[in-house]
Amino acid sequence: MKLTDEEKKMLDGLYGEPMAKALDYLRQFGEAFDAEKFIDVIYAHYPAEMSIYFGMVEDLVEYSETGAKVRIPTTTSTLACDLDQWESYGCPKGLAELQAQAVTAHRRLGILGTYTCTPQLLGFIPPKDSYIISVESSAIIYFNSVLGARTNRGGVFTRYSAVTGKYPLMGYLLDENRLGTHLFKITLSPDDLKFDSDYSALGFHIGAIVGSEVPVLDNIGCPDQSNLLALGASLATSGSVTLFHAPPHTAEAETVEEAFQDSKPKEEINVTTRDLRNAYDSLTNIQKGDRIDFVTLGCPHYNLEKLKYVADWITEHDATIHPDVRFWICTNRMTKNAASWEGITAIIENAGGTVICDTCPVESHMRISTCNEFGLKTPQIEAMVTDSAKMARYVGDLIGCKTALSNSDHCLRCAVAGKLV
Amino acid sequence: MTEVTVKARGIVKRAASGKALVCRKAFSFLGDVDMSTGVIIARGHEHEGETIAGKVMIYPETKGSSGGCVVLMSLSKKGMQPAAIVLSRPADPNIVEGAIVAGIALVCEPEEDLIDRVPHDAVVEVDGTSGTVSWDD
Repeated sequence: MKLTDEEKKMLDGLYGEPMAKALDYLRQFGEAFDAEKFIDVIYAHYPAEMSIYFGMVEDLVEYSETGAKVRIPTTTSTLACDLDQWESYGCPKGLAELQAQAVTAHRRLGILGTYTCTPQLLGFIPPKDSYIISVESSAIIYFNSVLGARTNRGGVFTRYSAVTGKYPLMGYLLDENRLGTHLFKITLSPDDLKFDSDYSALGFHIGAIVGSEVPVLDNIGCPDQSNLLALGASLATSGSVTLFHAPPHTAEAETVEEAFQDSKPKEEINVTTRDLRNAYDSLTNIQKGDRIDFVTLGCPHYNLEKLKYVADWITEHDATIHPDVRFWICTNRMTKNAASWEGITAIIENAGGTVICDTCPVESHMRISTCNEFGLKTPQIEAMVTDSAKMARYVGDLIGCKTALSNSDHCLRCAVAGKLV
Repeated sequence: MTEVTVKARGIVKRAASGKALVCRKAFSFLGDVDMSTGVIIARGHEHEGETIAGKVMIYPETKGSSGGCVVLMSLSKKGMQPAAIVLSRPADPNIVEGAIVAGIALVCEPEEDLIDRVPHDAVVEVDGTSGTVSWDD
């Protein structure tokens, strides 16, 4: 890789050992992909070390004592527990205490403890065409597609980019890798695309077909922010989609033609109501009338608008959550604080629900492997209803529960009834 | 028996060998595998119940959460990581980061499709430096 004079000084240790090591890792990584040079990144969304992963927090604490500091604004993705409420839902104390050590270590490194999969909801909205590095597949795809910022699917080396402000110029940072590859002609009625779960099912269907390529979605209705979050999250679950175009709602293409420019779609695929129903059905193995014990909303972490929607629904229906159902709405701390100020959190809690921060069921101690380590019974959940294809797909295998994918209104009705209605 | 060698693009420059675990579909390290034991837990997966530990995983491409690389790191701390990964399609940077840290040899885009060629359980050698995949046919 071609290095600037500044980068050479960094590698030579002029800015300290942690910086030199970090850039050396990134150089190995860039050379593996034949990257020509480094570019400066303006923001990093960092993979918070979760205590359910063996050795991760210990590794972080050790790293934080090396004197390393981040050079660019850096937010953190989800943790393995809600730092304030872990005790109330049966998270093992050892896991929560270990997790809390990560907070101190992150602060020592200069990293913001946002602990969310949706940092963009906290105002981290990098400009179009800016270079960033992000983890969390649902945030990555949102940054690339909706905002037009440029990031690859980041991983553990995000630490080194945060410390150096550098990333190899490669992959989705390059113009030539940002063109559409497959055209999906969506022939759905407006009624088919009303809820987040509809967009989630749509993304789940398309992601499975397109894998790691760049789908162009023609005619996705009139999505709001939450719908686009849901769509991206599921595209990156059944596939590993890093960037999609949905003209004119996404940043880089006003029209389908613009999304492909001079290239031709490799395939043109129609998407019908039946495809959407099949996606719903593939993530549902609970029968109508069956008892359920968990309802999750907020994957990815809900925004304030959606939290208000839930509180309004509860008020309007004078609803109480069934005593046998744990009803989690997952969000981040800043959004919860705003919701609490508005009285929204109190309405949800008084009805028997919980507004969870920092984590979600997939990332929690409820994974079978973690339960086995702590001698907890499995599965922790028998049957979950959720409005997210991503949540349904991962909890099914990781927690070992049955699932149903449904829209948020129906999820709420199920939470009240204690069964799939 | 003759040794067959297929050229591929070397990404993580290490050499390793192990029994082949050939998967026809894209693999998600989050969700498809138990993060403590390396056993495949995805219901209905063609190799459900088998372990990826010490194996040479041959599959089309990685899919799903970017937590995948953390799963690889975590597995490696327990010694339960695969020995090597061979991808039919270009490597996803996320999984490459995990492979570098976990010490897993990784090559991609072999000149011939290996999913239909390498017998499941055959002993396969992967060299990330020379970019080769070899086994006895």
